[in-house]
Amino acid sequence: MTPSVALRLLGLAGKQLSRHRVRTFLTLAGVGAGMFLFAVVESLQQALARATRLGANDLTLVVYRQNRFCPATSRLPIYYLDELRRIDGVREVIPILIAVNNCGASLDIVTFRGVPPDLLPRFAPDIALVSGSYEAWESTDDGALVGEHFAARRGLKAGDAFDAAGVRVRVVGLIRSPNPQDNQVAYVHLPFLQKATRRGLGEVTQFNVRVIDSGRLDAVARAIDDRFRSEPEPTQTHPEKAFFAEGARELVAMIDFTRWIGLGAALAVFGLVANAVLLIVRGRVRENAVLQTLGYPGRAVGFLVVGEGSLLGLGGGALGVGAALAFLGWNRFLFGSEGQTMAVLPETAVLVRGMGLALVLGAMAAAWPAWQAMRRPIVESLRT
Amino acid sequence: MNPTDTPLIRCRDVRKSYRKGETLVTPIESLHLDVPRGEFLALMGPSGSGKSTLLNLMAGIDRPTSGVIEFDGQPIQDLSRGHLAAWRARHVGYIFQLYHLVPVLTAFENVELPLLLDPMPRRERRERVEAALALVGLAHRMHHFPRELSGGEEQRVAIARAIVANPPLLVADEPTGDLDRDAADSVLGLLRALSRDHRRTIVMVTHDPRAAAVADRVLHLEKGRLLEGAR
Repeated sequence: MTPSVALRLLGLAGKQLSRHRVRTFLTLAGVGAGMFLFAVVESLQQALARATRLGANDLTLVVYRQNRFCPATSRLPIYYLDELRRIDGVREVIPILIAVNNCGASLDIVTFRGVPPDLLPRFAPDIALVSGSYEAWESTDDGALVGEHFAARRGLKAGDAFDAAGVRVRVVGLIRSPNPQDNQVAYVHLPFLQKATRRGLGEVTQFNVRVIDSGRLDAVARAIDDRFRSEPEPTQTHPEKAFFAEGARELVAMIDFTRWIGLGAALAVFGLVANAVLLIVRGRVRENAVLQTLGYPGRAVGFLVVGEGSLLGLGGGALGVGAALAFLGWNRFLFGSEGQTMAVLPETAVLVRGMGLALVLGAMAAAWPAWQAMRRPIVESLRT
Repeated sequence: MNPTDTPLIRCRDVRKSYRKGETLVTPIESLHLDVPRGEFLALMGPSGSGKSTLLNLMAGIDRPTSGVIEFDGQPIQDLSRGHLAAWRARHVGYIFQLYHLVPVLTAFENVELPLLLDPMPRRERRERVEAALALVGLAHRMHHFPRELSGGEEQRVAIARAIVANPPLLVADEPTGDLDRDAADSVLGLLRALSRDHRRTIVMVTHDPRAAAVADRVLHLEKGRLLEGAR
């Protein structure tokens, strides 16, 4: 079969679908619902992988109070800063005080990160200003640089004021960063946040440490914890992404579980298309026999059936995955637990994977009905 | 022998039998038949006499249990499924009693169906479909769906579909069996014109003596055997 003939047969399959509107609409709606669920689950899995999977470019360690997992209970003295800078393999250190509106699992978490204003550009030079002014942030006590995802979710822009977790700030700029965590928080001055949260001026929640190369992450983490082991406030140091996985492990476990829901949704799509195509083929026994009488070989009839299944899968996939990505883009969900946050964003990879899966499921679901349509004797079919 | 003297269809000692439950049914028994090129042949006989089975065997949509069926000197009974389909596409146009148009396709799209497998350019395809519809007098109805056509018009669309690929053989199974008298006359006139003016070989199964009257030759079948008529 030449490509041009295959295209014509696909066009014929498309006419069969578009001219049986109600049946096609109902099938597409069902497939779309399944693929919506699949795409949401897949987006969650992607977000989780992005937040927890360590890559070659990951250079950041988080130094936390040993055996503490919530920002409200991790308290480290700020004088650790100089000690940390002296440890071999450390390039840069920034003390951070974290205040959150909710320490438990939440879909609408607000995180303030209090940092010394002069250290932020040094520690995270890849943070880019989307709007507002960095100077305005340095010169105001209650100014906040807000991550763009957080700003979009709350509808914030430079000049707005908002309050959460008992802290009221003015937005002086929006920022964008390759590090997903930065896009979901509000950076404020460390002394301001210490006062606003009534934490002592000499106390922070954690230190973020940038190491010289990613191959030394574990060695530096061990060196840090060894250094403070006998201090009154011993530390526990992890790579940033491992820290997220550890701190938000209930959240991680729940999201990990959702992969079964995604698998169930894919199986439901398979069953729905298989049922729809089987009914189509059963209702078209004589029509397929007429095509064979006209000279259509069995493989052309099979191709028409698989084509209809594939188009149903692809159409429903486009509907469901598109709706899911629009839904996630519109709502900008931010999952949080124990002060760790994870944004669930619409992603091209999910679009491609979802559409590909829908196409394959549609084609596979139509394979058996296609085989039946191909093999049925013509004369017997004409008599039905 | 001059190749044009070879019958278009030659059946030799053809037998067809199949099992229906416990019973062995034999609708065709030791049949010998030649259909010369360009002939309009009518097959008549009571129900169950085997005329539709014979038509299906000649059209290559069924296979004989034994015997030989030659088309233009070439045996077709042993062709593989795929080769037989390709052979049908090139050599046979089939006209059904109940038209069997695809209901969701327009008259144009129904007639176009046999050409979709041929890698001919779109423009040529369109011209051939329009010509076939013009020949059956339905050029003005080409964008109508079967539900918008009368029975006679539907059968004429089916005839256009049968001739669009220009096959040398047309087979028609009771083509007027579901039509009123006027529509039947119109369809028979069309088949007669295709035979006379376009030199198509036509084999038609019918119960209707008026339909058989337009054929060049009428053969009667009874219990799977041929009884040659007087005409």
